[in-house]
Amino acid sequence: MQLFNHRLVARLAGTLLLMAAAALILPTAVSVWRGDGAQYGLVLAAAGMVGTGLLLRNIVGRRATSELHERESFWITTIVWLVMPAAGALPYLLTGSLTTFTDAVFESVSGFTTTGSSVVSDPAELPAGVLLWRAMTQWVGGLGLILLVITLLRRLDGASMQLYAAEFSGTQQRKLHPHMAKSVSRMWQIYTLITVAETAALYACGNSGLDSVCIAMSTVSTGGFMTAATGLAGYNDATHLVLTIFMFASGVNVALIYNFFTLHWRRLRRSDEMVVYAALFTAAAAICTAAFAVSGTPAGEAVNFSLFHIASTVSTCGFYTTPPPHWPFAASVVTFLLMLSGAMAGSTGGGLKLRRLMTMWLYLRNYFTRMLHPDAVFCIKIDRRVVDADYVNKIFGFVFLYILFVIGGAFALTLCGSGIAEAFCMAAANMSNLGPTPLINSMGANLEYAMMPTAAKWVLMILMLAGRLEIFALLAVVSPSYWRRR
Amino acid sequence: MLGILLAAEGGLMGLCVVPALHFGDGTAEAVALCAAFTLAVGGLLWLSYSRYRRIDDRRMAYLMVTLIWLVLTLFAALPLMATGATTSPSKAWFEAMSGLTASGGTIFADVSALPASVLMWRSMTQWLGGFGIVLLVLAVSPRLGVNRYALYTAEASGADITGRRPVSTAVTIRRTLTVYLSLTAVFIAALWFSGLPIWEAVNLTFTNISSGGFATSSTSLSELEPVQQYLLAAAMLLSGVNFTLLYLFFTLRWRQIGHKLEQFGTYISIFVAAALFVVGGLHWQMGLEWGDALRLGTVQTVSALTTTGSAVADTTQWWTPLTFLLLILSICGGMAGSTSGGLKVMRVLILMRNARSILRGRLHPRAVAPLRLNRQPVSSHIRSNVMVIFIVYATTLMLGTMVLMLCGVSATESIGATVGCLTGYGPGLGASGGFGSYAAFTPAALWLCSFLMLLGRLECMTVLVLFLPRFWHR
Repeated sequence: MQLFNHRLVARLAGTLLLMAAAALILPTAVSVWRGDGAQYGLVLAAAGMVGTGLLLRNIVGRRATSELHERESFWITTIVWLVMPAAGALPYLLTGSLTTFTDAVFESVSGFTTTGSSVVSDPAELPAGVLLWRAMTQWVGGLGLILLVITLLRRLDGASMQLYAAEFSGTQQRKLHPHMAKSVSRMWQIYTLITVAETAALYACGNSGLDSVCIAMSTVSTGGFMTAATGLAGYNDATHLVLTIFMFASGVNVALIYNFFTLHWRRLRRSDEMVVYAALFTAAAAICTAAFAVSGTPAGEAVNFSLFHIASTVSTCGFYTTPPPHWPFAASVVTFLLMLSGAMAGSTGGGLKLRRLMTMWLYLRNYFTRMLHPDAVFCIKIDRRVVDADYVNKIFGFVFLYILFVIGGAFALTLCGSGIAEAFCMAAANMSNLGPTPLINSMGANLEYAMMPTAAKWVLMILMLAGRLEIFALLAVVSPSYWRRR
Repeated sequence: MLGILLAAEGGLMGLCVVPALHFGDGTAEAVALCAAFTLAVGGLLWLSYSRYRRIDDRRMAYLMVTLIWLVLTLFAALPLMATGATTSPSKAWFEAMSGLTASGGTIFADVSALPASVLMWRSMTQWLGGFGIVLLVLAVSPRLGVNRYALYTAEASGADITGRRPVSTAVTIRRTLTVYLSLTAVFIAALWFSGLPIWEAVNLTFTNISSGGFATSSTSLSELEPVQQYLLAAAMLLSGVNFTLLYLFFTLRWRQIGHKLEQFGTYISIFVAAALFVVGGLHWQMGLEWGDALRLGTVQTVSALTTTGSAVADTTQWWTPLTFLLLILSICGGMAGSTSGGLKVMRVLILMRNARSILRGRLHPRAVAPLRLNRQPVSSHIRSNVMVIFIVYATTLMLGTMVLMLCGVSATESIGATVGCLTGYGPGLGASGGFGSYAAFTPAALWLCSFLMLLGRLECMTVLVLFLPRFWHR
């Protein structure tokens, strides 16, 4: 067996740290320009990243060969997802925005995993630079740190596919371009384009420049960090409309968005998942609106809030505005179900992903029919392509582990003192990378992430990572067989 | 076609009402009337349809399984209404369903105030139900086609456990019956020797050996002597073990069991691990003495794992993680081929193994590693069956909780009641948990819970297939 390629891993981690440091230039500039005093802390953080980055890249990772195998690809995925959030915590600590280590790491993990659970009690009081950094972590996390790595590893085309698979496990994506690195860079281009478009739209609605940028980055990555303590309640209706549209769009498979822009609209209609996504959104919004209207909310407000809330939930974005005074029960049900289902596979959203659920649904339907006609032979087709049995089994396995993680997470949260029902909601919300949601607040207790005990925060962090990495990459590196010599 | 089984069950029911007569406390006449009526209907059905003996149609079989349970429940509810124990039909239906599915959730806030005949009848339904399900699984399911057969040969009948030669259904049924009857007799005797009045000994043995959980007092088992509590815990633990395994063990055919004990090993390990956690939690978090912690912890853990639901302490007042753990245990359930409910250890084992093999497959994409159980490969049929049942089970739990909340039950309590009913554990959380009862539930919620119990007992698929439009097409 060949040796484990530590050098390459170190080199990549170092390079990423240097990039993070470079990215810090932007928040620092904003801080200097605004004069909010955070620039020193930010520069210090950048210096720390550059130091560690250089050490890893040029000394530990010197003479790295570019050989990459399955084992390394899992390891890289995990290491990258550990190093970056750790580095991302530095700016919070060094600017004094968050005082404890746990809080800083929590905020950072929540950012990179695009969860959006925040321990900052009033984001408006954060220095502008830190606010921007917070949004940027989400933006990068949205498309995935691994895509960043793949962009760095342009030469390693074969290996990139393995890496890609390690982060986007089991959703059978079509590549945008036969060449992996090219298709990834196309994804970045689309992503940037949408972000710019949304920023412009938000700015046109009369929001400040900083708010527009931060919220746009939160939306397209389906992150959910907001810039005010009251969520997005303080913004005007036009802003809400823009956000609703962009939240919905960010739950769509990036490849389909690419088709949309390149005018291959027929592909959109032909995508079964897209049809289900649109139908689900419409149905959920209709139910939610009806529920609010029945419980006495004026129709206009009910429609506005429902559209916004459903878009936010199904894309696992996690934005919220002030809900109408009476929170009907049906809204909770819809929220919970959508939170678990999540958005389309290949989008920036979290959750179980519709493609998986569709596959399971078709399989179940066939199964029941087979109970009556045992000799019948079926195949499952999605997008006119046959889904093979092995893949179906992987989906079932994934869903089993997902449920196991939610239950285990909820159990761990009760160990930290939560009640059973709210532990379930919190575990599910963070596992699906939704983050904050009025559902948790509707549970009655004043549940804020900032108030949680330290241990509970670490539990939530593990759930966020497991949800974002779709479990397998995380489990792979902790399984004994991974470390056994072959 | 329905008649033959219905009549047999009707006759048994009539027999079961007879002992209730002996306790003559003014309700004897009503109970006797119900018994006579049940016997009459059963007998009539039997006679008029005795010519049809075979169940050939798969559709008919599914329908019949569900119908049997529903009709039996209907008749089981009669004595409860006739004796005036409850006046609400939905409550009587719930209680009867809880009995026949061996769940153990009750709608009587004060059980001790009930007439003796009703108490006896409740225990009797559980004893019948507990055995009935094993019988049903063994006798009817093999006729339900390839898929079901594959599943059940894997878990319930003798084929997998006894060796390569599949044992005929009749033999398995005889063995199961032997084990069930002798266990009942042994535990009644043991409890009696330990100083319990014979009447309570019979009642409690009936409800615990069937992993049901009805009790003769509203504080369940908590007022018994520690020895008696441990005895009942042993009864519960045995009720969660595969009956064929027990038969082979007690008839000293150990070689046939051989090393095919994986499921049993897992069952025991889960029990020991959970009990350690609960006992530790009780001692350190709740400050109980070691002796008490050990007793309460083990009994409650067994009660949850085997989905019995007998209680020696009010678990709703326990440290939250302990309460939660008991819920999870009841979802896991006992061994396949036992009287317990839940998912069954066998399925959990296959689910875990499958997840692990998927993980391995990703790490070593070219490795070939079949899923194994008891050193034999598990076919992809069984694997997908287990997966489907798991997903349906999880979905039912989720939807059940939500619909229950729509009926106006609080969130935590809905979770508890759904788990309690679907797994056949019985008590839920909050008012319906611990020593509590479902008395405060609205009729709508009670009907839903009854439906969940039926779903859980018949393992979802058999009932759900009836809702398929295609099922009713000719």
